[in-house]
Amino acid sequence: MAAPLVLVVLAAVTVRAALYRSSLAVFIAERVEVASPLNAWKRVVEGLALLDLGVSPYSGAIFHETPLIIYLFHFLIEYAELVFMITDVLTAVALYLAIQDFNKVVFKKQKLLIELDKYAPDVAELIQTPMEMHYIPLKVALFYLLNPYTVMSCVAKSTCAINNSVIAFFILATIKGSALLSAVFLALATYQSLYPLTLFAPALLYLLQRQFIPIKLKSKSFWLYTVQYASLYLCSLVVIICLSFFLLNSWDFIPSVYGFILSVPDLTPNIGLFWYFFAEMFEHFSLFFVCVFQINVFFYTIPLAIKLKEHPVFFMFVQLAIISIFKSYPTVGDVALYMAFLPVWSHLYRFLRNIFILSCVLIFCSFLFPVLWHLWIYAGSANSNFYYAITLTFNVGQILLISDYFYAFLRREYYLTHGLHLTRQDGTEAMLVLK
Amino acid sequence: MAAAVPGATRVRATAVLLLLGCCGPALAGGLQDQAEQFFRSGHTNNWAVLVCTSRFWFNYRHVANTLSVYRSVKRLGIPDSHIVLMLADDMACNPRNPKPATVFSHKNMELNVYGDDVEVDYRSYEVTVENFLRVLTGRIPPSTPRSKRLLSDDRSNILIYMTGHGGNGFLKFQDSEEITNVELADAFEQMWQKRRYNELLFIIDTCQGASMYERFYSPNIMALASSQVGEDSLSHQPDLGIGVHLMDRYTFYVLEFLEEIHPASQTNMNDLFQVCPKSLCVSTPGHRTDLFQRDPQNVLITDFFGSVRKVEITTETISLDRHVAAFESKFPEEELATEPLKYAEQLPVAQIIHQKPKQKDWHPPGGFILGLWALIIMVFFKTYGIKHMKHVF
Repeated sequence: MAAPLVLVVLAAVTVRAALYRSSLAVFIAERVEVASPLNAWKRVVEGLALLDLGVSPYSGAIFHETPLIIYLFHFLIEYAELVFMITDVLTAVALYLAIQDFNKVVFKKQKLLIELDKYAPDVAELIQTPMEMHYIPLKVALFYLLNPYTVMSCVAKSTCAINNSVIAFFILATIKGSALLSAVFLALATYQSLYPLTLFAPALLYLLQRQFIPIKLKSKSFWLYTVQYASLYLCSLVVIICLSFFLLNSWDFIPSVYGFILSVPDLTPNIGLFWYFFAEMFEHFSLFFVCVFQINVFFYTIPLAIKLKEHPVFFMFVQLAIISIFKSYPTVGDVALYMAFLPVWSHLYRFLRNIFILSCVLIFCSFLFPVLWHLWIYAGSANSNFYYAITLTFNVGQILLISDYFYAFLRREYYLTHGLHLTRQDGTEAMLVLK
Repeated sequence: MAAAVPGATRVRATAVLLLLGCCGPALAGGLQDQAEQFFRSGHTNNWAVLVCTSRFWFNYRHVANTLSVYRSVKRLGIPDSHIVLMLADDMACNPRNPKPATVFSHKNMELNVYGDDVEVDYRSYEVTVENFLRVLTGRIPPSTPRSKRLLSDDRSNILIYMTGHGGNGFLKFQDSEEITNVELADAFEQMWQKRRYNELLFIIDTCQGASMYERFYSPNIMALASSQVGEDSLSHQPDLGIGVHLMDRYTFYVLEFLEEIHPASQTNMNDLFQVCPKSLCVSTPGHRTDLFQRDPQNVLITDFFGSVRKVEITTETISLDRHVAAFESKFPEEELATEPLKYAEQLPVAQIIHQKPKQKDWHPPGGFILGLWALIIMVFFKTYGIKHMKHVF
């Protein structure tokens, strides 16, 4: 399997290199859908320039990256293009290895459940076979590397690629079962952008499953492991933050990075939901609504944990999607990360109901973003409502995509245990409905 | 008035001829003063930029203010080609005007300042901060017609009159934007550096008007304002027939004062400073002369409000070379601090584009790098076991 992966990697690198040399690079780098105030390359360069002039890069409202990024790019700024290409390749390789391992786990679990007779007799067509699962890791790497969103994000040199790579390594570490590495990478991911905090729950669930610890609230081993993992995570987070203090000898980066993410002061349009609301909100409501919007990101963790405690990797996927839809400054790079996982659930295809409409919506919205931006900003014949409408439609499309996959997943689970031909008590055919 | 002008100049001409002809010692003091003044006020042309920044019917008085000053300035000789009149709204043809095509400045409709020959250069929405600053600094697109340009040179005396609603440090334009005193001061400095004026008189009639001239730093500017910081400028009298206040107090009394002036007047700026005392104006008018090089006593009102040409009518031919040399030796250069006129070398472009790129001065502290890599190695060995150590070392 290494050879096709190498081929895919080469193709991806070629595409990116070609785009770097073309005139599109400047155009893409300026697009607000790709570069947000949090991860634009222009701001990284500006921050490093300020540092060379002896001014703290956090002193204005320009630079919102963490000190580790400063350290990374201080030495590598001349090779920025290479760094981003290598980051993308690393992400893809990490996802490839993770999904390979995950497939083995899935297959083992399936075998166990079949032998334990947990499945209904007529569900043979729903069971995943190693044949069809063979190419899934390659497809995942392909989906990530050749996704136009990822390519644009890489060409724009947005540090979203680095965030994605950290999350990918976190997923790899979790699936391999190493609690320490998983906690360290999760701490790094949380340190980079606050929202991967919510990935703590699925990671914990997966590791518990791997250790064969049952998830009962009264069980002592459950709490012991949870506390262990949580303390590993929190300790690494604290260590990383304290280490960042020593880079510039100040705590300035905390309000500049985390305060910025949470309080959303910059209302540059992007593909998210925050900017329009807060642009037209009265001052005295803005605190309330900021809290509401931010809670919206973290809120779905607990119900999803309860529902999906047997399937933590799917939970991780849904959580990643929720983060990239509801975060304060989303970009298409975040969207690309969770879309890379779609081949893993390709066996759900027969249960997806709206996939055609949704793919049309997502593709059309992606094309309409630059059109309406041009009409609004340059031609002056549209206004922000037009652009926000497309943002809304895009996000609604994403949400429907996730809920469609969620529904399909649950439906398949139900069919697996209850058989494909559901009948009511009086023998007529029944339909499964999500209540 | 037309007959008086040659008479006055005839007297002056004879005085000058006497001075030039007999290169004698100092004559009677009055003639010498006149002569000094003749040669001191060094302007050869006059311009006026009159700006009204408010729109809407209830700001009738601001348009009336501006038109009153326009009328005076035109009456005293500045032609329309040398006046840039900016009115943010049209009161004469406003549907709420019970007397269309008129703008009155006195109650009982005594004085219609909107006459038959008003030429408005910037009207309605063209009166913006950007256009105003472009007019002042001359940075105008090439397609702008001459009537919209301030084509002044370094021998121009410019009168700038602004009225509208203002506050501490700003003046509101059109209810949607402001110009700050700093921007105005910088615009005047640009004008000075581009030699666009000889002397400038800035009059402002708004609330807290004195704040607008606080920041001026260019030479040869004299400023007057209708009220101090913290005071409001009040309006004069409402006309019950038209239904709005017709004028602001300060400009009303300035207009009354200017009605007495004719092109030959010798009234000087000190009289203008006395116009509208607190008893009449309620606010305290202010003025600023520290940047101005001449004594206000010697500055005629007509130096700014009128377009008095120093015309010398003579029938004799005078050969200038001999007399100029003689004159120069009799009247040595005064010690008025005139700085050598040069363009300030503000941006040494040649230096900047050829300088070497700066060395990177910032490096991450050693402790940070050490700590980071120690942590990374610790995590690596914790995960993969100590046994790899012997492969590394």
